[in-house]
Amino acid sequence: MASSVSTAQERPSGAPPPERERARSRELSESALGRVFMAPSLLAMTLVALFPILYALFLSFFEFVGREQRGFAGLGNYATQLTDPRYWDAVRVTFTFTVAAVALEFLIGLGFALLMNQAFLGRGVTRATILIPWVIPTVISAQIWFFMLNITPGFINAALGLGDFNWLGQRPWALISLILADVWKTAPFVALLLLAGLQTIPGDMYEAARVDGASAWQRFTSITLPLLRPAIFVALLFRTVDSLRIYDLPKVMTNGANGTETLSILVQNYIVDQPNPGIGSTLATLTFILVLGVGLIFISLIGRNLVIGEE
Amino acid sequence: MKSRRHVLATLAVLTLLSTACSGSSPEDSTGGGGEGEQGGGELVWAIGGAEAAVGGLHQQVTELWNEQNPDSPVRIEILPDAADEQRNQQALVLQAQDSEFDLLGMDVIWTGEYATNGWVASFEEERGQLEDAGVLPGALESAQWEEELWAVPYNSNAGLFYYRTDLIEAAPTTWDEAVEVCTAGAEEAGIAPFVGQGAQYEGMVVNFLEYLFGAEGQLINEEGTESLLLEGDAGRQALEFMVQSQADGFYAPGFNTMQENEAVAEFQSGSAACMRNWPSFYAQLVGEGEQAASSEVQDSTGVTTLPTFVDEGTTGVTGGFNIGVNAFSENVDAAKEFAVWAGTNEEAQLLLAGGSLPPVIASAYDELPEGDPTLGLVGDVLADEKTGSRPPAPTWNAISQAIQQNIFAAYNGEVPVEEALTTLNDEINTALGG
Repeated sequence: MASSVSTAQERPSGAPPPERERARSRELSESALGRVFMAPSLLAMTLVALFPILYALFLSFFEFVGREQRGFAGLGNYATQLTDPRYWDAVRVTFTFTVAAVALEFLIGLGFALLMNQAFLGRGVTRATILIPWVIPTVISAQIWFFMLNITPGFINAALGLGDFNWLGQRPWALISLILADVWKTAPFVALLLLAGLQTIPGDMYEAARVDGASAWQRFTSITLPLLRPAIFVALLFRTVDSLRIYDLPKVMTNGANGTETLSILVQNYIVDQPNPGIGSTLATLTFILVLGVGLIFISLIGRNLVIGEE
Repeated sequence: MKSRRHVLATLAVLTLLSTACSGSSPEDSTGGGGEGEQGGGELVWAIGGAEAAVGGLHQQVTELWNEQNPDSPVRIEILPDAADEQRNQQALVLQAQDSEFDLLGMDVIWTGEYATNGWVASFEEERGQLEDAGVLPGALESAQWEEELWAVPYNSNAGLFYYRTDLIEAAPTTWDEAVEVCTAGAEEAGIAPFVGQGAQYEGMVVNFLEYLFGAEGQLINEEGTESLLLEGDAGRQALEFMVQSQADGFYAPGFNTMQENEAVAEFQSGSAACMRNWPSFYAQLVGEGEQAASSEVQDSTGVTTLPTFVDEGTTGVTGGFNIGVNAFSENVDAAKEFAVWAGTNEEAQLLLAGGSLPPVIASAYDELPEGDPTLGLVGDVLADEKTGSRPPAPTWNAISQAIQQNIFAAYNGEVPVEEALTTLNDEINTALGG
């Protein structure tokens, strides 16, 4: 939030001084008015976003038995969780899932975007077809993948002649199945974001390059990729953050069994199944810090990109 | 270009914030709400499982009620198949003190938790009414916590052993025998020997406890203070049997992702020689109804009580459902009326019996449906002294989670038997110590 707020305030300060003084003498300055207008939404944000975060942080310092609070635990919950192999397993699973899924989604999505950006007969149909997987709600596509991969009824084994291959019942195939299902679902989303980026690149640049004798590959690496960079960063940020908190897919397909217990599954397990809100909040806070950290790294990269772009 | 980047940055921040919300407060979902206003006197009964689906027994029971009570009709809100998921759905609504559900289909093990949290209305005043109607004492006990009645027993349950009469001559009475005859029959027909509930969920816990009780083991002591898993040899025997079955292929391929419906689908299509499952699937396998039309085993399904490891009697884990009333419901009185009716009305209870779902009133057992052996078998199971129950304590979920984690990992060969049992024993004691 910080970056957009500060730039919004810079703009009025750049206005000519006399006008500004006049404004101040009569009524609220433009920036103050801006703050007033923003106050309700900031307040709403604080209530719906900040409060739960702080409340989870607060709860994470208490010891619970069932839903009953049994006293102050200090950092005890954090110590138990950070030394629990189950937590580190979940971290490992989550990161493996994220890296593999986001990489594949990016490559396939970029391919789709380049394809959709071409003018050819049947482009509308192609675009619509590519986007279908993304439109299906995740729980439903997850259930479909479960039916297709599970031994009963097992359409994929039947189609590929794999017999009784237990996709969801053994490591590492359960995790690989999740990655494939996620790539199938969200590669179109990446394609959509990248397509928006591609469409901002002016066609004359390609024309000029072609006149200068640049090959198709040179045009791709020297024009498309650099100009697409902001869109790529955003696509990667969205997908990385989303993948780090993946819940619905493993919940429906494996329920966290066979090496597919992600951080969000673990959080939900402690908050609802066990239940132990203290440990659950601890895990939620740890997950939040992790996702926030990764997100901040991305934003700092976008920021630097912005500076380079303005040179 | 510049303003577009600002939009991107803002979007990025928003994404992070939305992460924060969903990451830290999965409990804050408020549910639908407002259901009560539109339907007038409509009651919503949140219950899951095969019989909650269209055409299922629970639906037939509500239809019967709706005919007789058009002023307060009951509508079933179908919850997921797995018991753990049903509890999650209910817990989210109840934790938010929402009135979306009026009636709750409660697994017998949730009584303590729901009562302690103040989620369900007390039925203590209706106790006399239930006793007069002849509700079985065991069933009544499962609806009780700290000597107060919190729900109306609706149906009882116990697992049974299904087998193919065309492949197996005599029903096995021990698990060793079962391995022998099911494997031989399966080899003859080129199918899998045994299906059951092996996925990592509550159903697997029940399967494990059936092995444990069948080896004359106990899970926890009478007072509910201490784990008895490491007492004697039963725990090791039960778990080693599971490890062996998975390794040797006695368990069908995909056993470890199987719940009730997957197991019955395999057996019904003739792909398995033996099956552990609930009695209510009997009608689907051999009956004449629409469901049974696709059954490949209509004339070759045999059913008996579960084998044991001691060659004597049978064993089981008592299951079943009670009907609770949401304490935050806007129609507590009408909801209670339905609950009491469903648990005591002879016509309703006989509907259950007709579909092999064990009723809870004694008189329903007087005239068992002809040609359906399942209810008689359930009676044998409930009478056997090796049959046990899962304690309806508030801590049950933590115990169940511990069993799911450790037993699943062990029988899939990821953790050695001894280590899994020791860890599980510790975790149960920790849960009980609270």
